[in-house]
Amino acid sequence: MLKSFAAKATVPPAIAVTGFVVVCCILLYSVIKTDMLNDAIQHETNLADTIVKSARYAMLKDDRETLRNIIDNIGQQKGVEHTRIFNKKGVIMFSAHPEDVNKLVDKKAAGCIACHAGTVPLTSMGRMEQARRFINEEGHSVIAITVPIYNEPDCFNAACHVHSPSQKVLGTLDIGLSEEPLQKTLGTLRGRMIVFCLMVLVLTVGGVSALLLRNVLLPIKELANYVNAINRGDLNRKAPAYRDEIGELARSYEELATRLKATQDELKQQRAAEGDGADSRV
Amino acid sequence: MKRTQPPPSHEVPAGTPPDRDSVRQETIRRIKQLRHKSNRGLWAMALFIAVSIVALGDFSILPSLPPSVRAILGKAPSAIMISGALVLYTFSAIILVLARMMGGKEEYSGFAHVGYLTAFYGFYHFAKALNENYWAVFVAGITILGLESYHIWNFCNEAIRREQEILDAIERFRKS
Repeated sequence: MLKSFAAKATVPPAIAVTGFVVVCCILLYSVIKTDMLNDAIQHETNLADTIVKSARYAMLKDDRETLRNIIDNIGQQKGVEHTRIFNKKGVIMFSAHPEDVNKLVDKKAAGCIACHAGTVPLTSMGRMEQARRFINEEGHSVIAITVPIYNEPDCFNAACHVHSPSQKVLGTLDIGLSEEPLQKTLGTLRGRMIVFCLMVLVLTVGGVSALLLRNVLLPIKELANYVNAINRGDLNRKAPAYRDEIGELARSYEELATRLKATQDELKQQRAAEGDGADSRV
Repeated sequence: MKRTQPPPSHEVPAGTPPDRDSVRQETIRRIKQLRHKSNRGLWAMALFIAVSIVALGDFSILPSLPPSVRAILGKAPSAIMISGALVLYTFSAIILVLARMMGGKEEYSGFAHVGYLTAFYGFYHFAKALNENYWAVFVAGITILGLESYHIWNFCNEAIRREQEILDAIERFRKS
């Protein structure tokens, strides 16, 4: 079947077009996914900065009750998986999950290791490095952002004198948002691209195959049947009527068949005449 | 002592047709060679699938490169650059195979493509983007190697058919 004329004409372009379109769609989806993920991380980082700025006054006034309320309210928002503030030693001081308060976090944990990998912890990081993706205990996909809370002149000049001027980072805000809306959007995008891909393949491969079948393969098959009939001795058969190159080929075969028939008739007449002549001599 | 003279050389006079048996043997040998050649595509495909299985786990079964070697290699290219190169490579490879099919050339470069595709897996691995782009490289490989396999299989089958006609002609002459 793969050796037939139809296969040779349709299989290579079908494989080429299908493969190339699928490769391009996969790469396009991958690029869009990366861009959407980067946008989500950018949005989360801005949100984290907003939270730190919103909590600034409460921290400055050492108003822990207000700060606790801010963290609780943020934690109750739909899509927020966790919100917590660590102090410099890694102890969770405020959290939307009360059971996490006063727990010590390992510096080697994800979200902490990026700054604490070396002997001297980093005090600033790029936006993308601040983000991490994981699946939490509830089985939800989470994008988490860790932003430092920097020491400012208003902090180390405050009446409580808690922080010294040499301390660059006072603590860290860690916020985790559910990836579900992003995954849902990506799922919809994936579905649409698959549908588009299928439509393109049906049009190109199906369309080209259908036109090839109608305009080339079927006429060639008809021509092949006609020539086989001539070969079997049916010289009176009419050639298929086409106006293109196949039609020319068919007419040439018809002429050959007509000449062959004429030659055969001449030979018959000659033999018949010779036979009569021999009879009359006898 | 009588000197033994070497036997007279068997000179073939000009215009003598070649020995039919030797032509027949030569044709059978060529048909065997063509049959072996037509399976090359499958071997390349199998090799590519083996490499893809290793790449599926992000090359976790292979030992990771020491930091000194990584430092020498430098920073990996960005994933988007590698993807652009992959699209160009796939496009040009497909065009080249189709051109060879159209020209009826025997040239086969399936194993070279396995090498190039392995390099793409490697580049994505170093750029830490293999999980997102694995299937793109896999589909590109299946497409290019599938076309190469079909081309060489088709070419060899046509060549075998022509050689078979020679054998049939020899048989007909023998019988007559």
